Formats: sequence, C-alpha cells, structure tokens
Amino acid sequence: MRLEKCWFCSSTIYPGHGIQFVRNDAKIFRFCRSKCHKNFKMKRNPRKVKWTKAYRRLHGKDMTQDSTFEFERKRNRPERYDRNVTEMTLKAIKKIDKIRVTREAQHHKMRMRGKKAIEQEAAIKELENSINLVKAPAALQQGSEITLPKIKVKVSQSQAVGERMEE
Amino acid sequence: MIQPQTLLNVADNSGARELMCIRIIGAGNRRYAHIGDVIVAVIKEAVPNMPLERSEIIRAVIVRTCKELKRDNGMIIRYDDNAAVVIDQGGNPKGTRVFGAIARELRQLNFTKIVSLAPEVL
Repeated sequence: MRLEKCWFCSSTIYPGHGIQFVRNDAKIFRFCRSKCHKNFKMKRNPRKVKWTKAYRRLHGKDMTQDSTFEFERKRNRPERYDRNVTEMTLKAIKKIDKIRVTREAQHHKMRMRGKKAIEQEAAIKELENSINLVKAPAALQQGSEITLPKIKVKVSQSQAVGERMEE
Repeated sequence: MIQPQTLLNVADNSGARELMCIRIIGAGNRRYAHIGDVIVAVIKEAVPNMPLERSEIIRAVIVRTCKELKRDNGMIIRYDDNAAVVIDQGGNPKGTRVFGAIARELRQLNFTKIVSLAPEVL
C-alpha cells in the first residue's frame, strides 16, 4: 500500500479514493477526487489554480524548502523489514510532522506580520472620512474628536434587579 | 464499455490499425465489453502489405478502455483510448509486439503472452 499525492492539488490519496488516469505514453496521473480530475480534464494548469499546493508554493504562500520535506521523498529501493527500524520510523514520522507543522505556522506568521498595523491605519482613515455616519454634524461642531465620548449612566440597584426579573 | 460499432485502436503490429467491434464473445445478450473480453471485429483500416487486410473479420481482446476499470483494492484506472490486440482462436496474439500500457487483469485471464510482450503493465 502506498500513499500517493494527487497530481492536481498535491493532497494525499488514501487507498480506495480517487481515479488514476493512464495516458498513452504510460504516464500515470493520480487524482484524489473528482474535483481535481475534472479540473485536469478541463486542461487547467494547477500552478494557476489558487487552491492547489502547486500555486501556493509557487507564490510563496506556503513553505517551499525545508529539511522536513527530505524525509518524504520517494525512494524506489525496497527496505528489508526490520522491526526496530519500523518502530523508529513510526515514532519519527510523528515527530517530523509536528516539527513541520510548527515551521509552517512560523512561515505563515512571518508572512502575515505587519498586517495589524496596516489594518489599524486603514480603520483610522475610514473613520476620519465617514465620521458623519457615526456622529451627528451638530455634535461634530461641538467637539471634532473622532472617538465617541464615554457617558456614565447611574443605575439604581432595585431597577437593575427588576429588569433581570422581567427577563 | 465496448459495444458493436465501437471503433478501437490496435495495440500491436499485426497489420490492422483500426477495428470495429461486431460482437462480444461469450456473452448472450450482454451489452458492453470491458478490458479482458474477447470481441469479434472487422478491420476498418490496415497497414499496407501485411497479412491482415481491410474488412477481414478477426477476434481481438480488449486491453485498454476509456471507461474506468475497478479493482478489488479500490483502485480505479482509466486509459486514454479504447484499444485491442488481435488474437487467433487459441488466444495467442497475431502480432509480435504490443504497444502502450496493458491492464494487469489480462494475466489472470490467461493472456500471458500479451502481458509478457507489453512495455508497461499497469
């Protein structure tokens, strides 16, 4: 049993899923689901289709080079079964996956840094331009701050309790 | 899903280029033939100066279909064209070479000669 990669979206294909297409030159295209298969039949280039791994790697959205990818490279030499090696490999797979996930998260974080500052600036600008939607012009004339004033309202204890009872 | 009137490519060097299916062998009223079925076909197009000529009626075994082939392990395989290999009454191929990929199912159906000649068995 071998876990293959979908030719179109690069996700893993588990046994019993997907279709394999054999072209006349004996090249095999494996697809994880009919969505990828249909896109292939439409002759779409996976490097141009936004949700595929090929696009994401090409455009720097996902991590491209990492030592954790070396472990998943396809090796064509069959290994003689050794119980210890199998045990170690299974443990290693778990650890490597964890490391890869943390590194990808780090890559994402580095990619998204500075976004908060940009969003803040855009928000301030929008508030300045459209303050008329929030504050009446009369109030603006009195005080031209773009923040709403904090008003303290006194609520008596019995009143508050009464409201809760009604609910 | 090969039925009468279906045109098939020929995947060997027997001299025929294109076959048209006439009948499925071993099937009473069966509608379609799949990979591994023997069909009776007429040669629609032939290579000149070869033993097989146009409009000869021969038998062939289907080796590739555009319709998906389902395997017991859940694998589904689809080829790019419909192709057959010309055989004689005993099941031996008439040609000496086979072209293109061949499905593994032919081995179980005792077409071992074809499988051994195949460049790629998938």
